[in-house]
Amino acid sequence: MRRLVQGNEAVFRGAIAAGASYYAGYPISPSTEILNVASGWAAEHPEFGFLQAEDEIASANAVIGASLAGAKSFTATSGPGFSLMQEAIGYAQKVGVPCVFVDVQRVGPATGMPTMPGQGDILQVRYGSSGDYTPIALYPNSVTEAFNLAVAAFNAAEESRSPVVLLSDTFVAHLNEVVDLDELEAEVTVAPRELAPLARNAEADPRFFAGVLMYEHGPNAGEPATADADEYLRQFYAAKQRHLEVANRYALYQHGWNTAARTLILCYGIVSRVAAPLAADYALFRPIRIHPMLTDELRAVADGYQHIVAIEANDGQYADMAELALRREVKRVPLLGGRISLEAVNAGLARVLGDGPDEPPVPPAPTDRAARAPLGIG
Amino acid sequence: MPEAAFAELGFKSKLKMDLFPTIWCPGCGIGTIMIELAMVLDELGLDHTNTVLVTGIGCTGRMGSYMKYESVYTLHGRTLPVAEAIKTVRPELNVIVVAGDGDTASIGGNHLIHAIRRNARITVLCNNNEIYGLTGGQTGPTTPTGTKTLSSPGGNPNTPINLQGIVRSSPHALYARTTVYHQPQMRTAIREAISHDGFAFVDITSQCIENNGRRIGFANANDMLTFYRKTYKRAPKGADRLGPFELGIVYPEGHAERTNGTQTDGAAAADGSAVEGAAPAAPAPAEVTTKAERPSVSDDEKARKRAEAQKKLALMQRLDPEVKLRVAKGELTLADALREAGIDPAELEA
Repeated sequence: MRRLVQGNEAVFRGAIAAGASYYAGYPISPSTEILNVASGWAAEHPEFGFLQAEDEIASANAVIGASLAGAKSFTATSGPGFSLMQEAIGYAQKVGVPCVFVDVQRVGPATGMPTMPGQGDILQVRYGSSGDYTPIALYPNSVTEAFNLAVAAFNAAEESRSPVVLLSDTFVAHLNEVVDLDELEAEVTVAPRELAPLARNAEADPRFFAGVLMYEHGPNAGEPATADADEYLRQFYAAKQRHLEVANRYALYQHGWNTAARTLILCYGIVSRVAAPLAADYALFRPIRIHPMLTDELRAVADGYQHIVAIEANDGQYADMAELALRREVKRVPLLGGRISLEAVNAGLARVLGDGPDEPPVPPAPTDRAARAPLGIG
Repeated sequence: MPEAAFAELGFKSKLKMDLFPTIWCPGCGIGTIMIELAMVLDELGLDHTNTVLVTGIGCTGRMGSYMKYESVYTLHGRTLPVAEAIKTVRPELNVIVVAGDGDTASIGGNHLIHAIRRNARITVLCNNNEIYGLTGGQTGPTTPTGTKTLSSPGGNPNTPINLQGIVRSSPHALYARTTVYHQPQMRTAIREAISHDGFAFVDITSQCIENNGRRIGFANANDMLTFYRKTYKRAPKGADRLGPFELGIVYPEGHAERTNGTQTDGAAAADGSAVEGAAPAAPAPAEVTTKAERPSVSDDEKARKRAEAQKKLALMQRLDPEVKLRVAKGELTLADALREAGIDPAELEA
């Protein structure tokens, strides 16, 4: 049935279609609707595990426990909560726990401008936890895509045996679009769980899931390898290789608009929708897989353009990644403080293409009380 | 279980003996807790198909690697959310958390409060050694006031956390206090905790001689155990609150068997658990023993098994030490060993 569906709800329904059977979360705008919908779903489906945890740290660790017990599990949060989850994400990366973390971005930190939209967690996803890892992250820009990428995130998590991040933002989360969920569900393929659940195999030797490295194979299997650099290398590169191989199956991006234009715009999430009216004059590269960086794909596209401009609701986080990938200048249009509008995009483009600075002009502090901006609403 | 047919060795089937000796310092109390836990698990017929261990970072956390159970070594302080989620997804499993006092009550303190509030149906064994041992001996949440540690050279100025009060803030939770010296009582407490259908917390006072005891005047681990023996006393029968240095089990309100952990203490529990280990009648893996339905062992049955075990022991004494070892390892059945030694195995039945 075609009906209005909210971005957050689509994420949840995508998770269910992908086989999710456990949700743990803590209320935080603008992700809270996912928690609400999950609690309602759990009330109607007793086999669905639900936990409103005491904090995001508990949510993240519960998701890990549920996954090891055999459930496809996930949580949803926003940037500040995502920061609290980082230690658990690094742990899940090392231990190899398939699960999904949804990060609905807003302007950080937890105080300040909590109801305003932002995209400030791009690099947090990549580097937020302790140690080295190769995360997979996907980012939709519509309700339909939110559903499909939720499914893809769960499948990639199972295939790579790692925590996969589904990014979103305030606008995508609260976008209402007409979609037919039944139709979307009918097309879903679900990756099976390969990691044997805890205590299911009477024949196999008991396993020790450890943040500490254990020997995985060979004569010392099951023993601590906490001081063996060779074993670290073996496990680290095996995991990295596995993650990159799986990521290759999800090398999703959109290259379009006017591909004959001189300027290529890099943008993703809600910004790609806000900038859509520029379609006649600019080319678009919209990464859907944010991590690992789409280096080859972007290189293949970028050569033909005179300028590359990254428009994003942060201070150039994807632009940094793109510059590194392309080894050439990427101009920046940062949409900060929640001001994600076509006017701001146009002003920014005019500035950087006219060889102006990356930074938008910062108005002086008001001296007149009446000139103060009203309190923002999300 | 291999045919380790004499009583003391039943619990060894629950341990990865090939990884011994353990990483813990000589004189540490954690090994004792592990063995008592193994004995109780053996007695209750709980194995790696129906029981999962969740351990937290700290010396105690390494226990999972030495036991023949699927186990999750979690981040520091995060045992409880992991354990609670496992129980939610797989209610048929017994989920046992083993963690230190710092892990449980300090960095994991918020999770403790809320796991209790939600009455998570898990068992928590807290190795309460009143110190951060792994990092060299810093003040922990349960360090007594005035104790000198590396991080409180002038003596701990703070009051230790009231674990009993926190656990008993829920009417559904079971709280037990025991020490590494009082092993039969520890087994009773662990058994009751695993059998309790709700949140159960066993507060096990344990010695850390290397990074605490020696600094505060104990010469060795034995001195600490002697201190526990002399200082800790059983709580009065039926007490609904344990006083300082009192041992016992405080059951939730309305609990049917309000034994305070004293009735089954002593000889019956001391030997009974070990004898159970030898019983080949342990439930098959398919018969999952949950918190709700554990096997009950009548006193008659215990007495019979105790007599049987004593008989086996007496026969074992007559064997060559090397043969005894082979029997212990399960390479040889006791009956065969006796036959080889010229002893009629029928004496086993007599």
